[in-house]
Amino acid sequence: MHADNILRELKMLDPRHVRVLEARLDEVDVEIEGRVYCGVRPRRPFPYSYPEIVIFYRDEEELGMLRDYRKLDPRSRELLERVLRIIYFMPRVKKILGVRSAKGKYEWRVVTDKGPVTFYTWSRCIRLLRDGRLLIRDADGRVYMVEDPEKLDSKSRLYLSMMM
Amino acid sequence: MGGDEDDDGIKLYPSSGELPPPLRELLEEGEEVVAVARSDLVGDEYGEKHVVLTNKRLLVLNERLEYEVPLSKITMASLRSYINTCVMALDTDEGPKSVVVFTKARLKAFENLVSLINNLVVGKIPYSLLKRQLLKRVKAEAERKSSKAVLLRLLGLLKPIAPLLAATIVVAVAMRLVNLIPPYLMKILVDEVLTTRAHVEKLAQIALSLLAVNLVNTALGTLNGYLSTKLNVAVANRLRYKVFSKLQELSLSHYDRFTSGSLFSRVIDDVNRIQWFMTGSFNMIFINAAMIAFIGATLVTLNPWLTAIALLPIPIAILGSAIYRRLAARYYHRLWRRWSRIVSIVSDAINAAILVKSFGKEPTFREKFSESLEEYERAQMDVFKFEQEIWPAVGLAFTASNILVWWMGGLQVLSGAMSLGSLMAFTSYMWMFYTPVFSLLENVKSLQRAAVAANRIFEVLDLEPEVEERPHARDLELGGEVECENLWFTYDGVHYALKGVNLRIRAGERIGLVGPSGSGKTTLVKLLLHLYEPQVGTIRYDGVDVREIKSSSLKRQVAIVLQNPILLDTTIAENIMLGREDASPEEVIAAAKAARAHSFIMRLPEAYDTEVGSRGSRLSGGERARVALAAALLKNPKILILDEPTAALDALTEEEVTEELERLTKGRTTIIIAHRLSTLRFVDRVVVMDEGKIVEEGAHEELLRRGGLYKKLWEAQLKGLTRMSAAAVSEGYAR
Ligand SMILES: Nc1ncnc2c1ncn2[C@@H]1O[C@H](COP(=O)(O)OP(=O)(O)OP(=O)(O)O)[C@@H](O)[C@H]1O
Ligand SMILES: [Mg+2]
Repeated sequence: MHADNILRELKMLDPRHVRVLEARLDEVDVEIEGRVYCGVRPRRPFPYSYPEIVIFYRDEEELGMLRDYRKLDPRSRELLERVLRIIYFMPRVKKILGVRSAKGKYEWRVVTDKGPVTFYTWSRCIRLLRDGRLLIRDADGRVYMVEDPEKLDSKSRLYLSMMM
Repeated sequence: MGGDEDDDGIKLYPSSGELPPPLRELLEEGEEVVAVARSDLVGDEYGEKHVVLTNKRLLVLNERLEYEVPLSKITMASLRSYINTCVMALDTDEGPKSVVVFTKARLKAFENLVSLINNLVVGKIPYSLLKRQLLKRVKAEAERKSSKAVLLRLLGLLKPIAPLLAATIVVAVAMRLVNLIPPYLMKILVDEVLTTRAHVEKLAQIALSLLAVNLVNTALGTLNGYLSTKLNVAVANRLRYKVFSKLQELSLSHYDRFTSGSLFSRVIDDVNRIQWFMTGSFNMIFINAAMIAFIGATLVTLNPWLTAIALLPIPIAILGSAIYRRLAARYYHRLWRRWSRIVSIVSDAINAAILVKSFGKEPTFREKFSESLEEYERAQMDVFKFEQEIWPAVGLAFTASNILVWWMGGLQVLSGAMSLGSLMAFTSYMWMFYTPVFSLLENVKSLQRAAVAANRIFEVLDLEPEVEERPHARDLELGGEVECENLWFTYDGVHYALKGVNLRIRAGERIGLVGPSGSGKTTLVKLLLHLYEPQVGTIRYDGVDVREIKSSSLKRQVAIVLQNPILLDTTIAENIMLGREDASPEEVIAAAKAARAHSFIMRLPEAYDTEVGSRGSRLSGGERARVALAAALLKNPKILILDEPTAALDALTEEEVTEELERLTKGRTTIIIAHRLSTLRFVDRVVVMDEGKIVEEGAHEELLRRGGLYKKLWEAQLKGLTRMSAAAVSEGYAR
C-alpha cells in the first residue's frame, strides 16, 4: 500500500477550484470544479487535532476533502465558517464560578464566551487533548472547551484540578 | 505433604553432597548431573522419587535405580495433567513410557525438567550451550536466596537517594534529642530554683530556654516532615519505575503465567511495603538506637539502681507481645480473608457487570455482599475482644514497675540520696526510654518483612525475558521470505499447541491458514512475530534467525491484526497511528478507507478524534477489527498477518474488505487466517492445520481434489449455505 496509491482515493480538492455559494444553518451550496452541489454538509474528520480539514458530504456521498479550508477565498471561507460554527458549536470556558457535588453528579457554574451556564457532569468528565486544551463533557454529552487552562484565574484552576 | 515454600522440587547442577546417595555409584566417567527433580508421590502414596537428568541419561531412583534410558533413545518428553496429579511420560525408541507421578506442587519442577530434556532431544541444542545458560540461572537464584544480599541489593538500588535518606535520619535524630532537653531543664528548675528558692534569675533563663527548645523543635519537625515526604515519593518512584519498565520488557509468556493480575497486584503491594519500610522503619532503626543510647546513659547517670527496676517490665512486654503476635495472626488473618472476599465480590460485580446483569444475578450478588459484610463485622469484633484481653496484662507490669520506681526513688529523695528534680527527670526519661526499645523490636521485624518483599521484587526484576534478543541482534530490511522449522510450542508446559510445524513462505506469497478452532493458527502467527519463544525450533526471515533480528526492526516491518483486537484507551486517530506515528491526517484517513472504517468513523460526531474507551469498549467488535486493520495497513508492512480480520464483520462489509485486501496484499507476503473460506479466494496457497500440525497445503482446487480436512471444512460451509437456500426455496413453494 504505497502512500500516493491510497491517497488518490481521498479526492483531495484544490481550494482554488472550490467556491462556497451559500450557507444555510448546517448546509452549504458549493461549486466544486465547476459543478454546483446543493445541500452539502461539511464535516471535520479531526475536529480537535486538525480542525482545518473539512470533508464535504452530500447525504452519504463524499464529494471531496479540503486539506485546509482557510485557503478558500475570503467570502467562501466566511460562509463555510458560519456553518462550521453551528455544526461544531463549542462554548469556551472563561471562568469557573463553582463546582459542587449534587445527587451523585457535579454541578458546574461557569462563564463561557457564549455566556454563563450551569451544567452537570459525572466524576470522570475531563479529557486532556494533546495540545494541552481540556474538554469537559457534561452528563448530557455536551462538550465545553478550556482553551488554555493555565490562563484561567487561580480559583477556576483549583476547581479544574479538583476534577482531574 | 508439607514442604517449605523455597523447595521448588528441582535442583540444577547439584553439588555431589546434594545427590541422592545411590546415584553416586551409578554415574559413569564424564557423566554430569544436569538436574534432579523430586516427585512427592510414589504410586498413590506420599513419598519421594528422584528423576535425574544427566548429559547422557535419564534415571529414576527410588532408594535404588528403578528405570534408566539413554537420551539418544528418547524422542520426546511430555506431561499429562489431572486434577491433583501429573504424570511425566517419555516417547522412546521402545515405545511410550510413563516415568513418574507427582502432585501439582511439583508441576513447575517437572515442566522445567521436560523442557530441558526436549531442548536436548527434540531441539538438539548443544549440551555445552544449555549448560552455560543453566549455570547462569543457578547463580542468580543463589544470590536471591541470601537475605543479607537482598537488603544490600535493595540499598544499592536506592543509592541515588542516599543523601536524602541520610539527611532525613540526621534531622529526625536531632529532633528527638532536642526533645530530651525539657525534662533536664525541669530538673534544674526543681532542684536549683523551686526547692532552694535561690537563683530566681534562672527562672527566666529556663523559661526562655524552654521556648527556644520548642521553636527549634517545631522547625526541625517541619523540616523532618518535608524530608520524609520527599523520601517517600523518591523511594516509591524509583522502585515503581524499575518494576514497571521490567514488566514492559517481559514476554507475553510471563503474563500468561501470572494470570489475572496476581503478578501486578503482588508487585505493587511489595513496592508499597518497601516504601513503607524505607520511609517508616529504616530510619527509625537509627533513630531508636540513638535514643536508647542517649536516654540509657542519662538514666544510668541519674540513678543506676532505679534504672535496673525500670528495665524489669521490658522482658515481660516482649514475652507478651510474642504471645500476642502468635494469636493475633489468627484473628487478623481471618479478618483479612473476610475483607478480600468482599473485595472480590465487588470487583466481580463491576468487571463482569454484563454477565451478572444478563443472567439477572444482581439479587444473588446483593445477598452475598451483605452476608460477607456481616461476617467481616463479626471478625472485627473478635479482634477487638482479643485485643482487650491481652494488653491490660502487659500494662499492669509497667504500672507495677512505675510504682516501684516512685516508691524506691521517693525513699531515696526523703533520705537525701537523690534530689527531687532528679527523680522527676528520671521518671520522664523512663517513659521516653520504653518507646524506642519496643519500636526497635518492631523495626527488626519489619526489616525481615521488607527483605521478603524485596526478594519478591527482585524475583520479578530478575525474570529473564524469555524472548531473548541476542546482544548482537541487528536491523534487517526484510525481503518477505519466512520459514519455520520444526516449531514446538506450549503455553503451559503440558499441552503442546504446536507440534513440529514446518512452513516456508516465499517473498510476496499470500497464504491462507485454516483449521479447526484450537488447532494452533493464532499461536503460530504470534510466534512469527516473536511474541513468544518456541521451546524447540527456529523461525527465519530471509534465512536469518528471528533471534538475531532486532525486535524493533521486526515489528516495524511485520504487521499483525489480532483475532480480538484490543485498542488503546485513546482516540481512533491515535489507535490508527500506532501503525506509524508520523503519519499525516490524510494517510490516516486513507488507511481507514482501505480498512472500510472511514464511513463509520465519520458518522461519529468527533470522528477521528473520538475516544474509544478502555480496550476500545465504545466500539463494536467489527469496528474495532477495522480500526486495527487500518493501523496495520498504515504501517505499509513488508509482511502482513491477519488473524480473522473479517470474523466480526457482516457479509457485505466482509466482501468489501476482502476486495480491498486482495488489492492491498498484491506482491506482499501475507498470512490470512480465516474460518470463512470464501475470504481466502485470492491466496496463492492454503495451509491447513490440525492439532498443532500442518496436515495439508496447496491451492484450493488441489486440496478439494485431495479430499482431506480442507474438503471437509469446505463442504460443511457449503452445506450450511445450500440448506439455507433449500429452505428458502421450499418456503417459496409453500406460499
Ligand atoms: N494464552 C494461552 N495460554 C494457554 N493456552 C493457550 C493460550 N492461547 C491458546 N492456548 C491453547 O493453545 C491451543 C491453540 O490455540 P490457538 O489460539 O493457536 O488456536 P487457533 O487455531 O487460533 O483457534 P481459533 O480458530 O479458535 O482462533 C489451544 O488449545 C488453546 O487452548
Ligand atoms: Mg485463533
